[in-house]
Amino acid sequence: MTKHEEPSHRSYYLRAESITKVYGDGTTAVRDVSVELHPGEIVGLLGENGAGKTTLTKMLSGLLPPTHGRVTSPSGLLRFSSPREALAFGIGMVHQHFALVGPFTAAENVALSHEKPFTRVRLAQAIERLETLMEQSGLRVPLDVPIEKLAVGEQQRVEILKVLSRDVDLLILDEPTSVLTPLEVDELFSLLRKLSDQGTSIILITHKLKEVQTITDRVVVLRHGEMVGDVKTSDTNTEQLAQLMVGQALDQDARAVELSGEELPVHRDVRAVDRSVESILHVEDMTVRGNTGETAVEDLSFDVFGGEIFGIAGVEGNGQTELVESVTGLRVPISGKATISGTNILGVDPRHIYRLGVAHIPEDRWELGLVLPFTLAENAILGVHRWERFRGPLTLLKWGQINRHVRELMDRFEIRATGPGAPAKSLSGGNQQKLIVGRELAKDPAIIVASQPTRGLDIGSAKYIRDLLVEMRNAGRAILLVSADLDEVLALSDRVAIMYEGKFMIVSEPEKLGREQIGLLMGGVSQEQEVAA
Amino acid sequence: MSAEKKTLESRLLRGAHKTLTGLTPALESVLAAIIGLFIGALVMWLWGYDPIVAYKAMLLGAFGSKWGLADAGAIAAPLVLTALSFSICLRAGMFNIGAEGQLLMAGLATVCAGFFVLPPILHHAVAILFAMSAGAIWSMGPALLKLTRGVHEVISTIMFNWIANFLSLFLIGAFLINDFSADQTIAIPSSAVFSKIMRGTDLTYAIFVAIAFALIVYFVLWHTAIGYEVRAAGLNPSAARYGGIRNKRTLFLAFVLSGVSAGLAATTILMGSSAIHSMYRAHGQLLHVGFDGMAVAMVGRNHPIGILFSAMFFGGLSAGGRLMQLSPNPVPVQMVRLVMGVIVFTMAIPELVRIFPAIVNGTSGFIDRLRRLVSRTGRRRST
Repeated sequence: MTKHEEPSHRSYYLRAESITKVYGDGTTAVRDVSVELHPGEIVGLLGENGAGKTTLTKMLSGLLPPTHGRVTSPSGLLRFSSPREALAFGIGMVHQHFALVGPFTAAENVALSHEKPFTRVRLAQAIERLETLMEQSGLRVPLDVPIEKLAVGEQQRVEILKVLSRDVDLLILDEPTSVLTPLEVDELFSLLRKLSDQGTSIILITHKLKEVQTITDRVVVLRHGEMVGDVKTSDTNTEQLAQLMVGQALDQDARAVELSGEELPVHRDVRAVDRSVESILHVEDMTVRGNTGETAVEDLSFDVFGGEIFGIAGVEGNGQTELVESVTGLRVPISGKATISGTNILGVDPRHIYRLGVAHIPEDRWELGLVLPFTLAENAILGVHRWERFRGPLTLLKWGQINRHVRELMDRFEIRATGPGAPAKSLSGGNQQKLIVGRELAKDPAIIVASQPTRGLDIGSAKYIRDLLVEMRNAGRAILLVSADLDEVLALSDRVAIMYEGKFMIVSEPEKLGREQIGLLMGGVSQEQEVAA
Repeated sequence: MSAEKKTLESRLLRGAHKTLTGLTPALESVLAAIIGLFIGALVMWLWGYDPIVAYKAMLLGAFGSKWGLADAGAIAAPLVLTALSFSICLRAGMFNIGAEGQLLMAGLATVCAGFFVLPPILHHAVAILFAMSAGAIWSMGPALLKLTRGVHEVISTIMFNWIANFLSLFLIGAFLINDFSADQTIAIPSSAVFSKIMRGTDLTYAIFVAIAFALIVYFVLWHTAIGYEVRAAGLNPSAARYGGIRNKRTLFLAFVLSGVSAGLAATTILMGSSAIHSMYRAHGQLLHVGFDGMAVAMVGRNHPIGILFSAMFFGGLSAGGRLMQLSPNPVPVQMVRLVMGVIVFTMAIPELVRIFPAIVNGTSGFIDRLRRLVSRTGRRRST
């Protein structure tokens, strides 16, 4: 370990010198980022999904070695092999999903985090320490109540306390406000300010522009793994940040060209979509709860017509998943209406919904779309395995028929595999997705619900799947497209909705929206608020 | 919390679906058997027995003659069925260890069927139907508890095993007791007993019940939509749900089918291989058959065809083990169970190998930490 003991270096806490991270599969998650962190500073780390925020923080906290460049502290190179070690050094992270033991109390959870395996838990000591800490920080939580009985905001405070009790100098918070009520957000922010006054550096990972404006001293903006901005918060405004985060339209196209050798073509249909007829998917005042009981989709109403692609853009986790699950039978909304060509689909089992002509390309192809150990043929009939085409009397499967069908799919959708008997997990990601898309389109659907259809795919496969969607649209099918890839939504959709906290901020034709406006809407800042402000 | 539980469960169940060493499942099982026999030999040698003589006696006893083979088959028949009982549920993603209890209840039902006076073939059919129903009904308890109240099947099946144990003890003593011999039930009349295939051995036509059921299970699992749903629900419940599969119904079906299988196992013993066609109060012939079935299923890689072979292997070990205790080298018959145990352990070795890298990483991390600690205290002193 090299040591820099000169006093001039004491002014920073962490320094990253042009760090780059290339993962094993060749993707560059972070490219040439240099950043410095000072004691007592609150830095916002802003960026879309997949912009490289997580990778950058991992490198900054010494958990992930950069491919090029280095991360140093005044005492030398930063390199840890576990979060526990990083914590011992003074870098603590509070994740979006808390690492707390539900039936244990706050005190027990904190005591637990201090102990090495096979040592006695010193509970009284932990409580004493916690009480002084709560005194100092002004952060209050009940110590004797089981964690699972606490509100999410309180749980988060326990998580922060757990980290603080280890005397951290750098606190990293990953999307801390996504689970909090507005009041809890205010409380969290005043706590963060207090901590920074005491000299703790804080990195706040977020995509919410308003938060960045309220709390941070400095903002680092990432886009596609590159640092596109490192500005003092007081010198900037939400518009500028939105622009940085989403990117200029021109600049964006140039990047697409650079990456793919061709730009993402805009596929608008020349024929206007006939919206006077009955819509295929009709959703009215639908409210859906998420997994933790929060309201994920709130009073949403929209229609998707035949021959159009209705795109939903927005930062992930704003209710898109719950919305898709609700209209495909995987989740039961608490109120509202949803129909496919006039037939109710709320609370109806997926297998009945598929009969109505619904194809669902799920967001998580490993968890939902495929049974990975199953063969190609077995996966190709998932959801249609009881259809008369593939099933004889006594539910006998017609394997001959199925294998013929799979070979057709392989030909038509360019699925490269050794044969119908190949396990799905042996296929590449692109071919797995083509298998799902092929299976779903072979249902001859009236509406296709496509969720993140090109995520993680190579450019060729992504383009192929986009073209298929456009082809289906031109054939008069309705398509509900949900994607975190803004460029994709804008290029494909006839109408686009921007979703934020369970609501549509706007529904519009993509041409009528400016990049800056989209960025603001995705960050939850609507036109009216701007005017009012 | 639920995510952790899910990963733990999927780790427990992974053995059913893929091999960790990358070998073909059959080869992995054969390897485990060889290692098991080798460790058994080591133990024998340590205790002063001659393993080569012992194994020779055992193998010749089991597979050296048609009589030995017949005895091995007689022991294998119920094992095939209890192994299937375990595997069907495992394929559906559940760890059902209730075969033991279902076996006892089905045994009682078989004895009850003995009260009827019927012509041979019909009497067989009625007794089998009784046993199948009793096994199925007994496995519905844990199934309903799981599906309606979320009770984990490991807990409930163990409880149901004990309930079955004492309930049958009571029923044998109170209602089914043999007037001439107080430690056993009335005997099943010869009109409901499977006839012997080979004189002087325990091998009866019951073995065809086992083979037929194994083939049926294979056919159902891989050639019907119902079996497809069972396997999909077991491998990936979320994807099954996405595929419009009613997971609860599917799991219930798997439970019932596994109860039927355990019920059939009781008939192959009580109407077949058993020397006395009645149930003992101490459950002598039925004891452990359910649990041994789990070992058979594991070695057979939870595939009906694999189970046929592994049951034959375990049957051979037991049949040959009896000969092992004869002179000139009397090895205790318990050695056979030791070998079985080691084989089951060996099946888990791939999992250990997978964990091993973590141990390596842990050690290097510890050394790293020591180094940092030393340099840190050094730095503190300098400031």
